Amino acid sequence: MLTTDKVTVKFGGLTAVNQVSVHVEAHRITGLIGPNGAGKTTFFNCISGVYRPNSGSVIFEGNHIEGKKPYQVNRAGISRTYQIINLFKKMNVLENVLVGMHPRLKSGYLSDMFRTPSQRREEKAAYERAYEWLKFVDLQDHALDPAGSLSYGKQRLLEIARSLASTPKLILLDEPAAGMNSKEKEELDELLKRILELGVTVLMVEHDMKLVMGICHYLNVLSEGKLLAKGTPSEIQNNPDVIQAYLGGE
Amino acid sequence: MQKSLANNSLGKKLIAPIAILLALGMPLYVRGAEYPLMLACIIQLYVVAVSGLDILFGYCGQISLGHAAFYAIGAYGSAILHNNLGLPILFTMFVAATLAALVGAVLAIPASKLVFHFLSLATVAFGEIVYQFIVHSPGGITKDFNGIFSARLSIFGFEFSTYRLWYYFGLACVIVFLTAKYFLVHSKTGRAFTAIRENSHAANGMGINVRKYKVMAFATSAFYTAFAGAMYIHLVGYVHPDTFLRKQSVLFLTMLLFGGTGSLTGPILGVISVELLIESLRVLQDYQGFVYGILLLIVIVALPGGLFGGFKNVWNLLAGRLGKRRGGAGAC
Repeated sequence: MLTTDKVTVKFGGLTAVNQVSVHVEAHRITGLIGPNGAGKTTFFNCISGVYRPNSGSVIFEGNHIEGKKPYQVNRAGISRTYQIINLFKKMNVLENVLVGMHPRLKSGYLSDMFRTPSQRREEKAAYERAYEWLKFVDLQDHALDPAGSLSYGKQRLLEIARSLASTPKLILLDEPAAGMNSKEKEELDELLKRILELGVTVLMVEHDMKLVMGICHYLNVLSEGKLLAKGTPSEIQNNPDVIQAYLGGE
Repeated sequence: MQKSLANNSLGKKLIAPIAILLALGMPLYVRGAEYPLMLACIIQLYVVAVSGLDILFGYCGQISLGHAAFYAIGAYGSAILHNNLGLPILFTMFVAATLAALVGAVLAIPASKLVFHFLSLATVAFGEIVYQFIVHSPGGITKDFNGIFSARLSIFGFEFSTYRLWYYFGLACVIVFLTAKYFLVHSKTGRAFTAIRENSHAANGMGINVRKYKVMAFATSAFYTAFAGAMYIHLVGYVHPDTFLRKQSVLFLTMLLFGGTGSLTGPILGVISVELLIESLRVLQDYQGFVYGILLLIVIVALPGGLFGGFKNVWNLLAGRLGKRRGGAGAC
């Protein structure tokens, strides 16, 4: 579904991502792990269009998407969440999801301004669908609260709902479990399975090894910008290079 | 569920009709006095102008210190089209406002890359360019420093010869423009504006073409303010270029901040209170500017949400207390 070929990103003299080639299989949960500063988020930013790789290519469903703007990548069918929560804090929870639906709504400037019958119908349906997405992540009781007032864990869930609302084929989750308590993590585990059931492919960066090893079908390990290893969770757990990168030493 | 999501409580539904009825009656209870009526007319056109600025600044988060330029394009554009080509006035008002919207869009294409302070500088420069163009126009089309005269408003031969008559035209404009603003901000487009204000990176990531929507916000805002400029010249019959100095742009922004950004009511409260403040401080003569400045400072420092934000807080406080007395049932 998604293939990167020797993607390299440099910031001045620093090579943050060095010739990374990974493959994401459709209808699977693929994990991207590695120590802090390994370049995982930079790599995500390359896929989602925030950065343009210095070299290499990103191919999504047969099309080159490297160098496209974030909104174009989103329209191609890849949506994402952020490591540092990036919600629209003063908008309410429901409106955040409605913004996520933006590229799927057909109304335009004039039909919005004159509130034409078709715009009205579309808005009504959009509100109902947005509410369904809130139910999907169990946030329906907070629909009218400002997004900024939610707890950290709930804000993460809202980020997921917001990015699912654009009905992506692939969703990039950047540390979805960060800041969640153990109960929330269990719920996230179950939520990820339901996302997969929707037919959405998942690529996620995550530090929680229990979650990652339990749910990912395939793992890629980054260290110091390079792809250190790839394989199934059990292969990765027994890989001496990975153990060294995480624990250090000889 | 639908009811609660749409957030249409009965109180909110009643506010607009009551306000309109009160506004309709205004010429009746100030019978005979021309001056308050003229002030009411000016307030109406300022409400249109400041509501336009609110779409750009309050909703989309893009500052403009050059809105006097759009105001000028509306006033001069409509006057020139009417005087030189003899086109009917309501038509020239729309054409001038559309022209300003195009200018706004062209300005926004490069300006959309700029953020807060750089954007303010760019818009200040834009205001200056338009002012210089007016006072040194090619072929003297704007009559340069003499200012320009134009006819009072007439629609299909019906002349709005008194402030009383013009007042109803102004009221109709306010209702039309505020309704359009309400529809726009509570739609996909309006949500995109607000998303850009809140977090433009995330908006981009959610599939919003940020530049396109900033251009839209600029153009819409320019249309509103320019239309207000056209209303102004066909109310007063004459404008001088010095009406369009930077202090006019600052006045629009002051009214917006004073009333509160990002709402329908805020600009109305801001325009009325700042206009009345300026008028009532005239008795202080030399100290007018001084007292005006201090009052502005107090409101802006004490009420960051403007007057409307302040009222809302008091309202929520009272509603919260009442709700508690009723056993919390009234809170939602």
